[in-house]
Amino acid sequence: MTQPLTIDRITAHYGTTKVLEDLSLSVAEGELVSLLGASGCGKTTTLRLVAGFLQPTAGAIRLGDKDLTRLPAHQRDIGLVFQNYALFPHLTVRENVAFGLKQRKVAGPERLKRADAMLDRVGLAHLADRLPAALSGGQKQRVALARALVIEPPLLMFDEPLSNLDAKLRVDMRVEIRQLQRANGTTALYVTHDQEEAFSISDRVAIMHQGRIMQLDTPEVLYQRPANAFVANFVGFENLIPLRVTARNGADITAQTAEGAALTLSQDQLGPIPDAFTLATRPDGLQVTVTGGAGLPATLGLRTYLGRAYQYQAKAGGLALLANGPLSQPLDPGTAVTLVPNPEQCAILKPE
Amino acid sequence: MATRIHPLLILFTVLVYVFLLGPLIIIFGASLSDTTYLTFPPQGLSFRWFQNIWDISAFRRTIVTSLQMAFLGTAIALVIGIPAAYALNRYRVTLPGWLSTLFVLPILVPEIVIGFSLLRSVTVQAGVPVWYALLIGHTLLVIPYVIRVVSASLASFDFSIEEAAISLGSPPARTFFTIVLPNIRSGVIAAFILSFITSINDVSVSLFLTGPGVSTLPIQLLAHMEQFFDPTIASVSVVLMLLTILVMIIVERTLGLAIVAK
Amino acid sequence: MKRLAGWMLASPATLAITFLLVIPVAITVGLSFGSPGQGDWGIVQPYADFFASGFRRNVLWRTFTVAGWVTVISLAAGLATAYVVARCPPWMKSTLIVLAVFPLLTGVVVRSFAWLVLLGREGMVNQVLQATGLTDGPVAMLYTQGAVIVAMVYIFVPLMVLVLVGVLENIPEDLMQASSSLGAGPVASFFQVTLPLAVPGLIVGAVLVFTASFTSYATPHLLGGTRQMMMGTFLQQRALVAFDWPGAAVVAAIMLAVIVATVLVMTRVARRLNPMAT
Repeated sequence: MTQPLTIDRITAHYGTTKVLEDLSLSVAEGELVSLLGASGCGKTTTLRLVAGFLQPTAGAIRLGDKDLTRLPAHQRDIGLVFQNYALFPHLTVRENVAFGLKQRKVAGPERLKRADAMLDRVGLAHLADRLPAALSGGQKQRVALARALVIEPPLLMFDEPLSNLDAKLRVDMRVEIRQLQRANGTTALYVTHDQEEAFSISDRVAIMHQGRIMQLDTPEVLYQRPANAFVANFVGFENLIPLRVTARNGADITAQTAEGAALTLSQDQLGPIPDAFTLATRPDGLQVTVTGGAGLPATLGLRTYLGRAYQYQAKAGGLALLANGPLSQPLDPGTAVTLVPNPEQCAILKPE
Repeated sequence: MATRIHPLLILFTVLVYVFLLGPLIIIFGASLSDTTYLTFPPQGLSFRWFQNIWDISAFRRTIVTSLQMAFLGTAIALVIGIPAAYALNRYRVTLPGWLSTLFVLPILVPEIVIGFSLLRSVTVQAGVPVWYALLIGHTLLVIPYVIRVVSASLASFDFSIEEAAISLGSPPARTFFTIVLPNIRSGVIAAFILSFITSINDVSVSLFLTGPGVSTLPIQLLAHMEQFFDPTIASVSVVLMLLTILVMIIVERTLGLAIVAK
Repeated sequence: MKRLAGWMLASPATLAITFLLVIPVAITVGLSFGSPGQGDWGIVQPYADFFASGFRRNVLWRTFTVAGWVTVISLAAGLATAYVVARCPPWMKSTLIVLAVFPLLTGVVVRSFAWLVLLGREGMVNQVLQATGLTDGPVAMLYTQGAVIVAMVYIFVPLMVLVLVGVLENIPEDLMQASSSLGAGPVASFFQVTLPLAVPGLIVGAVLVFTASFTSYATPHLLGGTRQMMMGTFLQQRALVAFDWPGAAVVAAIMLAVIVATVLVMTRVARRLNPMAT
């Protein structure tokens, strides 16, 4: 029976250093939420707190109605998949998978049967009698997965499970994980530093930084509507242009940069725009044109080749920007251009 | 990760440590006793038994001999052992596999058998004078420690910096002294200290190689115990313990005590 | 030149050990054998004599017994202690390790002497026994097998603790977390995961202590004397007291054989049992 997970105002310390402060997060029944961020952001700490390897200094953790906060790790009934697989080297693959069932006092023949069934589901039935040392990285990860699934836990947690695998395998495995999680309908918390991985398989993603959740939303919203400069930068909005509204005309507004360059933007396309704001754009969202017109005047710098387009460093007044231009028109450094924002690749950031 | 440990286990551990350190504290107390016999708790407090160490010429002589053996034996072992350790790491492929086993033999073969064999072959048959035979015994005893500890240090040594130096024009011999040695400094110091202590404390080898006028402190202690069972033994023990503490402080300062992973 | 460089650097040590260890020990072993026509057994006659003597058989058996007990007790006490130490926070762990190293660095003589004082007629143990009323008069504890065993356990427990802390720390932390997450409490995790993975290291520690205690001299000499003669003290007695060199050589050769056999057998066993060997 899967359960929803509630992390309620958790504060955690390593010694005297505070690593998490007042963190709250809810994962609905059957949902897969990813904790995404660079190392040191607190995502692994959060996972370890839920698992019971670390005690919070304040706050509570609940799985459904059960309060886990003071419960020892081995009584929490959570399926964990580790970064380094953590397979028991002295037990066969089958015995590894059956380990959790053994702790739950499932009878010998029954637990081996269930272990075999689960190994079959992950496609490793033929390796049941081998020792972990004989397996490849991908195979080990599948065994780790089987071991966590076979105990039918109310919650699954993944601690960067794919970071030790090579690129192609990572893509295949993340799909498998998502399929298994969906099929079982188990609530899942997934920790990773890989943005593509998190976005591709999660129902919602929490982008973390320095022990706080910067934004918790679906991948689509995070990608298109970052809530603050950190998240914007994280999801690829390289350019942050501070602007001030100078005129409003219905849904259209005119805004100026500090140097006086003017841009016209539509609230129909971009949502409500406050008087002072930052325009965040992706490099693709800032088009390079040599003809004049509405936009940011800029001088081009280094040109790099992306395969699908050219990317230019550009200086517009005091701003250092990245803008993409078509392959048909390679431009040299020093060229004076106008940068025109493409609303589809832009987001409005309110002042923080 | 602080798992909760069963209180009985913790109690047991405390008892084990009391067991380990208690007797040493008792010796310390006994050394201060103002009696002619060994007793604890001490009756009266006096340093006379420490004074007595100095008064007894046998102790004075054997302390000197022990220090000579330790310093010289270790020095010779370093001179012989460091190149051997270097060869094992750098030229591993050109050397037979059994060589590292050979180097470890003085640890494998029982010390008492080594002592007896040296007595027979070196002292009796070859007629080597006692002092030199003793030195040979001590050197032999510590060679494996030198080789093992320095080897461990070399295993984590990046040999490409040696190659870089040579490519920049430094001849191999000079490179060894200016590039390799300074970077395995901690291993050499650890080897020195381990060997020194092993030599100072040795009984089983020295037993056979001591003679009239040439003896080491532990052997002298044993002899003294047979004749006079008095607090001098306790005070010598205290001196040895203080020496050990001194050595540990030196290790802590130069290496950090984590080095004691044998 | 490269080819010879290794040999040139290694030769002083090789020569030293060959001429000062291998050859003398070989000579000793050679000395232990008799001449072809000797007695009923020819060249192994001295060994036949050794095993024919009840006294000598006792000495050998006693040495095995004492070494065995010392190993088992040190292993048990050492493992329990190492388990606790390995789980302590870093600052406490290093303090505890230093405290275990300290006795190790003081010599055998000092540490054996401590027990001589403790177990004597006026020693602390007797004082406590009489004070608590457990006995009426002083109990003679010295020169008993028990005294030798206790003193030797005292010598070897620190070594065992240090070796086993290393062994336990080599077990990856995430295995313990995995075990815990799958529902195994501390006891279950210890017996199902920690212990099986520690076995090779336990064997190393046990071999170390067994061989050292089997060949020990100072402690059996001080605590056991001639009443509890062991192979080490017997060898000394034969060589330096009775000047029976061939007899001493036999003792030495038997000791060597026991040690070599133990090491060889246990290395093989440890390698077979090692689950982390690829």
